[in-house]
Amino acid sequence: MSSKTVKPILHSAAWRISLRATLAFACGTMLVFIFLHRFVASDIQRRSDAWLSGEVKVLGDVAEQTPKNALYDRVVGEVAELVSKEVPNKDSSAGATNDSVFFLQANGDGSLMLWVGAGSGVPNLKAIQAVRIVPGSPSDLRVQGFEVPFRVASTRINDGSSIYLGLSERDELRVLRSLLLRFVLLWLLLVFLGFSIVFFTTKRMLSHVQRMTEAASRIGHTDLSARVPITARNDEVGNLALTLNHMLDRIEISMHQLHTITDSLAHDLRSPLTAIRGKLEMSLLSGSQSDHSEQIVSAIEELDHLTDFLNKSLDVAEAKADALRLNRVPVDLDKLLRIMIDLYEPSMSGKGLQIRLHSGGPLIVQADAALIHRMIANLFDNELKHIPSACTVNLRLSVEENTALLLLEDDGPGFDPEVLPHLFERRIKGSKSTGHGLGLAFVDAVARAHGGTVAATNCEAGGARLAVNLPLLAISVGQVVAS
Amino acid sequence: MRLLLVEDEIDIQSFLQRSLEEAGYEVEAASDGKTAERIAMEDPFDILIVDLGLPDQDGITLILKLRQLGVSAPVLILSARRSVDDRVCGLEQGGDDYLTKPFALAELLARLRNLLKRNSPAASESTRLRVLDLELDLLRREATRSGQILQLTPQEFVLLEYLCRNAGRVVTRSMILDKVWGMRIQPDTNVVDVHIYRLRGKVDGQGQKPLIRTLRGVGYVLKDR
Repeated sequence: MSSKTVKPILHSAAWRISLRATLAFACGTMLVFIFLHRFVASDIQRRSDAWLSGEVKVLGDVAEQTPKNALYDRVVGEVAELVSKEVPNKDSSAGATNDSVFFLQANGDGSLMLWVGAGSGVPNLKAIQAVRIVPGSPSDLRVQGFEVPFRVASTRINDGSSIYLGLSERDELRVLRSLLLRFVLLWLLLVFLGFSIVFFTTKRMLSHVQRMTEAASRIGHTDLSARVPITARNDEVGNLALTLNHMLDRIEISMHQLHTITDSLAHDLRSPLTAIRGKLEMSLLSGSQSDHSEQIVSAIEELDHLTDFLNKSLDVAEAKADALRLNRVPVDLDKLLRIMIDLYEPSMSGKGLQIRLHSGGPLIVQADAALIHRMIANLFDNELKHIPSACTVNLRLSVEENTALLLLEDDGPGFDPEVLPHLFERRIKGSKSTGHGLGLAFVDAVARAHGGTVAATNCEAGGARLAVNLPLLAISVGQVVAS
Repeated sequence: MRLLLVEDEIDIQSFLQRSLEEAGYEVEAASDGKTAERIAMEDPFDILIVDLGLPDQDGITLILKLRQLGVSAPVLILSARRSVDDRVCGLEQGGDDYLTKPFALAELLARLRNLLKRNSPAASESTRLRVLDLELDLLRREATRSGQILQLTPQEFVLLEYLCRNAGRVVTRSMILDKVWGMRIQPDTNVVDVHIYRLRGKVDGQGQKPLIRTLRGVGYVLKDR
């Protein structure tokens, strides 16, 4: 691993997580080992104490019952020798020389009576006399000339002398030391293993995240079509990748729509702008004053038309992208239709059209008043522009299953069957239409934005039928889309 | 009438300043919020025109700041956005008005007049309107021309009343739709023209001096001279 890659690893989250996990793991296992070690140590102590107590009692009995004659020293000495050969935890490599056990009998006056063991026994006696050893419970004894302390048990016999049996703790310590060494080695191994496992697992998991980061940083620099790699597992990281990709899908769609809007706007604006420019230029070139104003008036009208077109196509585009913001207020459709009829009636009757409203009275929907006004105006404009004279338009307003249903039926020629399937798309208009092909697309967009629908059919008896459904109560667009 | 015009686009600013001065306003112009604040603090103004897209701050923020500083003159908000912000709605309810770009100059002037009227102590509301030989009785909803009663529908009367109240001034089609029908719509068809045409047929009878004049490309004027 080169030094270049070392630094990022030290700064990586995987490294930090592994360090913390390992630290906790190491402390935990260390506590367990310390406890185990203590337990083993005390157990060894207990066992050797039990042995010492047992043997010192045997020796005491032997010393008591053996007659105090010339053979006394030999008999008791032999027994003590025998005992020292049964030492627990004995290191077999130590050979025949036995310095791990001593037997000492002291007279009541404190003089050495019998000694079995390595050395003269004098330092041992001195040490014994320096500390008071209670008969029955073994205790530690440090003896000059010996590195390792002895564990000494004592008993008092009838003749007033005391018997001491000492066992070097050397073997015990050796066992404990080798145990400790194994524990430490095992602990190190466990800690290293734990660290490696945690480090490599987190590193592997976080490498998915890293790949996502890389993929995400590529997105936008080049194009929006790149996606984050998806893992097969259904875990948190997998979900993150899926969510990110869904988000990117939505962004890409929005961007695509935006591009489409700007492209078509640019396209649609060019010809009216050219016309306006031309008219103004002509007014500059032409001589008389009246010509001037005619051209300018025409240019202004064209500009108004253009503004209207711009607003409508942006509204349609926003509604298609679910971005239309609604300012919902109660709108009485019945009242609105009556006002609209009042507004449109002169134009319609001027064209020989009749309009009739069939309504059961006030009908309130929660809707964006300005948009609904414009939607209805579009529907009326549509009728006014597209049906021949002497026709009748019937408006029916009713409530059906929590929606307001507005039916527009006329007895005109109906929709062109070729256009009918695409009626609500932008820029779709009949072959004879002079509009900009946004009217019904706008109606559809507004209805959708309110969670409603628009359907166009041709009546059986001929004539067009437009059915607009609007929910009575406020339902957010999101809910409708989700369902 | 002192008017403070806050608009950062120089073209629009200068054309508005010229037209407003022609309309009789004493105009001070500012190109950004900071300058506007300073000017507004120096002298009191009767009315303000504030564009929403200022270089240093949002127009709404400026208006709210000015309100806090004690400027109570009504504000006409100019907006290039299509959808009306909730905060603009709030200001509108508070007595201010807004206009979306592009707008007809006539409409701008009409809205300014309305704002000033709203703000001034209510003039004694007359029950009769008179323009030349045209007379409207607002209580009996009756219109007469040279003493002869005109047969008007209720809607035609409202339309004529609106024209009379703005006699001598241009009203646009969208103003008529807004004030007479209460809708901010832009029909593709000439619905308003047909209404005016019908009304004209009744008001400007044969042999009478035509009162309702069409200004092509702009709107209509009820002549008062």
